[in-house]
Amino acid sequence: MPATSLALTPGLASFLKSLKTNPIDTSIENLISLLKRRQIRHSRSCATATAYLLRSVISACRTADPAKLIERVQGVGRRLMAAQPREMVVGNIVRRVLGLIRDEAEDDREAEFALSDVGSESQPQTPRAFDDPSLPLNSDSPSFRPEDRSARPPLTSMFSLLSHPEPEHSLPSTPGSLSPGGRLPGHGPSKDVRAEVLDGIGEIIDELGQVDDQIAAYALDHIHSNEIILTHTSSTTVQKFLLKAAAKRKFTVIHAESYPNNHEATHATVSGGSMHDDDNLGFETFQKPLIEHGITVILIPDSAVFALMSRVNKVILGTHSVLANGGLVAAAGTRVIARAAKVHQTPIVVVSGVYKLSPVYPFDFDSLIEYGDASKVLSYEDGDLVDQIDVQNPIYDYVPAELVDLYITNLGGHAPSYLYRIVSDHYRKEDISF
Amino acid sequence: MAEPTNPALTAPSPAAIPASEPQTQSLPIRDSKPAKPVAKDAAPTDGAGDADKALTPAELKKKAKAEKAARRAREKVEKEQVGGPAGGAAPGAGGAGRGGAPATPKKDAGAGAAQKGGKAAPPRRGSGPVGAGAPAEQKQKKDDKKVAVFGHLYGQQRRTTVAGAGKEVHPAVLALGLQLRDYVVCGSSARCVATLLAFKRVVESYTTPLGTSLARHLTTHLSHQITYLSTCRPLSITQGNAIRALKLAIAGIDPSTPESSAKATLCDFIDSFIREKITVAGQVIADSAAQKVQDGDVIVTFAGSNVVKETLLLAHNQGKRFRVSIIDSRPLFEGKSLARALAKAGLDVQYTLVHATTHAIKDATKVFLGAHAMTSNGGLYSRVGTALVAMSAKERASGVEIPVIVCCETVKFTDRVALDSIVVNEIADADELVSSLPPQQLTGLPDPGANSPAPIDNKKGGKPTSAAPTPETSAASSSTSPLANWKDTPNLQLLNIMYDVTPAEYVDMVVTEMGSLPPSAVPIVHRMSTNL
Repeated sequence: MPATSLALTPGLASFLKSLKTNPIDTSIENLISLLKRRQIRHSRSCATATAYLLRSVISACRTADPAKLIERVQGVGRRLMAAQPREMVVGNIVRRVLGLIRDEAEDDREAEFALSDVGSESQPQTPRAFDDPSLPLNSDSPSFRPEDRSARPPLTSMFSLLSHPEPEHSLPSTPGSLSPGGRLPGHGPSKDVRAEVLDGIGEIIDELGQVDDQIAAYALDHIHSNEIILTHTSSTTVQKFLLKAAAKRKFTVIHAESYPNNHEATHATVSGGSMHDDDNLGFETFQKPLIEHGITVILIPDSAVFALMSRVNKVILGTHSVLANGGLVAAAGTRVIARAAKVHQTPIVVVSGVYKLSPVYPFDFDSLIEYGDASKVLSYEDGDLVDQIDVQNPIYDYVPAELVDLYITNLGGHAPSYLYRIVSDHYRKEDISF
Repeated sequence: MAEPTNPALTAPSPAAIPASEPQTQSLPIRDSKPAKPVAKDAAPTDGAGDADKALTPAELKKKAKAEKAARRAREKVEKEQVGGPAGGAAPGAGGAGRGGAPATPKKDAGAGAAQKGGKAAPPRRGSGPVGAGAPAEQKQKKDDKKVAVFGHLYGQQRRTTVAGAGKEVHPAVLALGLQLRDYVVCGSSARCVATLLAFKRVVESYTTPLGTSLARHLTTHLSHQITYLSTCRPLSITQGNAIRALKLAIAGIDPSTPESSAKATLCDFIDSFIREKITVAGQVIADSAAQKVQDGDVIVTFAGSNVVKETLLLAHNQGKRFRVSIIDSRPLFEGKSLARALAKAGLDVQYTLVHATTHAIKDATKVFLGAHAMTSNGGLYSRVGTALVAMSAKERASGVEIPVIVCCETVKFTDRVALDSIVVNEIADADELVSSLPPQQLTGLPDPGANSPAPIDNKKGGKPTSAAPTPETSAASSSTSPLANWKDTPNLQLLNIMYDVTPAEYVDMVVTEMGSLPPSAVPIVHRMSTNL
C-alpha cells in the first residue's frame, strides 16, 4: 500500500520523476500547480523542485545568449513565485540561478578581453567540496544521478556535458535540428555560459542535499554535555544537528510538539516512528531518532514552554525562511518560544541553510504569514461552533531579529546583523526584485 | 562465610519493627527472615555451595553489602507504608479502622512491595550491574518516565477506581473524587465549591461516636475524606484554603454544644463560605472587571475561566461592543466551552490555540486572565500557557504594552511563594497528550470496511505505516499514534504539567472582591482575609 500511494500522491518525488519525461512547459505548469495546491510544501522540497526545473529549463533553452537565458529564467521564476509567494525559497533559487548566468556572462566578457582561461573562476558561491556521492539527495530519483555525475567534473568534457542532456530533451520538442547548429560553429564563450550555468545549478542541487550535514558539522561547537536544549517542530535540520552532537555528548532535549500543524510529524520524530511527511520522503532516511542515541527527549505541549524555560540552556530552532534583516518566518509558536527564551536570557540559535536566506525585507509582516486549516484547531465534532466563532490557524510566525542570538548556516555561525552580507554575497542586486 | 553475613542479618531486626504497628507490619519481615538462614543452611549441600566457596573475601564482602542494602531498602519501604496512611489520619483512628480483618491481605501487599522496593532501591544510578529482576526493571522504566526536574511533583499515581478507598469515605466524596480526577469538576473555584458541598453532606450524615466529642472526632473523620480526594487529584489551593477554614470552624465549636446544633452551625458555615468567598465574590469581581471593558476593545483570554466568562457576559449585557479572542491549549481545551458560552450569548468570538498567541495578541487591547491561585510573591499560578499569553501582551513588537488583568477571588490567595513553575505544580497523566483527538472521536471511528483497507492494515501491522496524515485518515492514524507505546520507548518522556507561574511584573491588576489591587498586595490581603 505505501508503494502505490507514493506513486499516486503528487509531490516532490513524482514531480522529479515526471520532469525527465514531460516537455518543459508541462513541467513548469506542473510545478506551479503543485506549489499552488501546496502539494510541495517544505522549504527544501520547494527549493529542490525549483532547482531541478530551472536546470531543465536552461538545458532545454537552445539559445546561447545570456540575456535571453536570463529573460527565460525570469519568466519562469515570476510565474513560480506568483504561484506561491510565501514560499520564499523559490525566489531565492531563481535569483541564484540568475546570478549564476550573470556571473558567467561577465566572466565570458572578461575572458574575451583578457583571453584568459574561461571557467576556472566559475564556482560562484559556495566554497566547499562536493565530492560526496553518497548523499541522500538523489536516493529517490536515481534517474538524475548519471546526469549529475557527468555535470560535476567541470572542464574535462565540455562536449559530453552539452550533449548529455540533449538526448533526454530531444524526446519532447524540436529534436535535433537546433543542437548541431548551436554547437558546431564554435561560439566558444556562449556555449560555455550554458554549460557553466548547468554546472552551477548542479552545485546548488548538491548544496541542497548536503546542507543539513554541513550545518550539523557545527553541532559540537554549540551543544555541550548535560545541556538542556529546547526545540520545536520536526525540522530535519535541527534533528540532524542534535543527532550529530548526540554521537559525542549526552544532553537532554525538550521538544515542544507544535500542535496542531506539525504535531504528528513531531511525535513521529521524537518516538522514531516511521510516519513521515510525504514531501520529505526522498530526503529523510533518518537512521535513528535521538532517543536511541541515549538522549533523553521530553515531549511537552507548546503551552508548557514558559514553565520549563528556566531550566533550558539553549533553544535551537528550525525555520521556514530567513529574511535579509535577520528576522525569520518560522512555524507558528516560534515567536512565543523565542520571547520566552529572551525573557529567561536563554540563547536562541537558529539553524538554517543559506538557501532559506531571502533578500526580502519584511515591510508588511502580515503578508508573510500563511493561514492553514482551521479544522485542525476546532475539529469536526465541534462543527456547531464554526458558524458562530472565528477560528484561526496561522502556520507561520514572524520572529524579529532581536530575538535571535545566532544563526548557524552551512557557511558557519553568524550574528543576525551579519546576514545582509551573506545576502549580498549570494544574490545580485539586479535580481532582488525581478 | 558466616562472619560477615551474620551481623547483617541480626542488625536490622530491632529497627525493623515499626513503632506504630508492631503486629501487622513486623510479620512480613519475620516471614522473610527465616527464609534466608534456611537457604544458607542448605547452601553447602548443593551447587550454590560451590559457588560460595569459590568466592574471594572481597566478593563475599560485596555480597554481604548488597544484602544489607537490600534489607535496608525493604525496611524503608515498610516504614513508608506505615507512615503513609498514618500521616493524614490520626494514628488512633487509623488503628481502629484497620483492626483485624485487613491484616492478612496487607501482609501480602507489604511483602510484595518490600521485594520490589528492595531491588529498585538505587533509583537511577545503579542501572546495570546488580542482578535486577523483572519487577526492578519495571520500576526503573517507570522512573525513567519521570522528568527529573519535576521529580518532587510525581506523587502516587492518580487513583483510578473507588476500590480500596477507606470505608469511612462518604459516597458523595467518593463520587466527587472521580469527577475531580476526570476533570468533570475542573477549575479551582468549582473544585472548591464541590468539595465543600460534599463535606456538607459528610457533616450532615455524621454522628459522633461514643466517647469522643464532635470537635475532636469530626476533624479526623474529614481527614479521611481529604486524603481520599487528594489521591484522586492533588488538592487545589482553594480546596486547601476552604478545608483550613472548615477545620478552624470545627475546632471552634464548644464541646458542650449538642451535636445537632453543632452540625447545623457547620452547614451554615459551609453555605456562607461558598456564598461569600466564591459566589458573591465572583459577582463582585465580574461587576468591577466589566467596568474595565470598553467599546471597541479586543479582549484576549486564555483557556476557560469562570470569572472571566461572567465578566465578559456581564459587559456584553451592559451593551458594550467588543471582541473576544480566546487562546486555548492542549490537552484540556477548556477554552472551547468558554467560546461556546460566549458565542451563544452573541459575542464576537475568535478562537485559536496557543501556537497563535502572537497573532491573537497582535490587535488586542486588554488581556483578562483567570487564576488558579495567586502566590505571596505576586505570581499568578494558573493553567499552563497563561504565562506565555501574559508575556506576549507585555512584549508586543510595537512596544505598546497591553494591560493584563487577572480576575481572582481572595480565596485563591496563598502564602506559598514560587519563583518559577517548577516549585509548585501538578503533573497530570502524560497519556492525555498521546491521543490528539478527544476520546469520543476514537470510539466513533468509521468502520474499516466503509473506509479503505488502509486502517485495517495499520491495525494489523501494529506499526504506524506511512499513512498520509490527511484529515480523512487522521482518525485512523491517531489510533496508531507514534506515541502510543511511549512508555516502552526508552529515553522518551512526556511531560504534562497543569500550571505555570506568571511573574508578577506581567500582571498589572488583580481584580478581587476586595477591590482591584497590584499583585504585590496579595500577601497583605491574604493575611487580612485569613485573620478575619
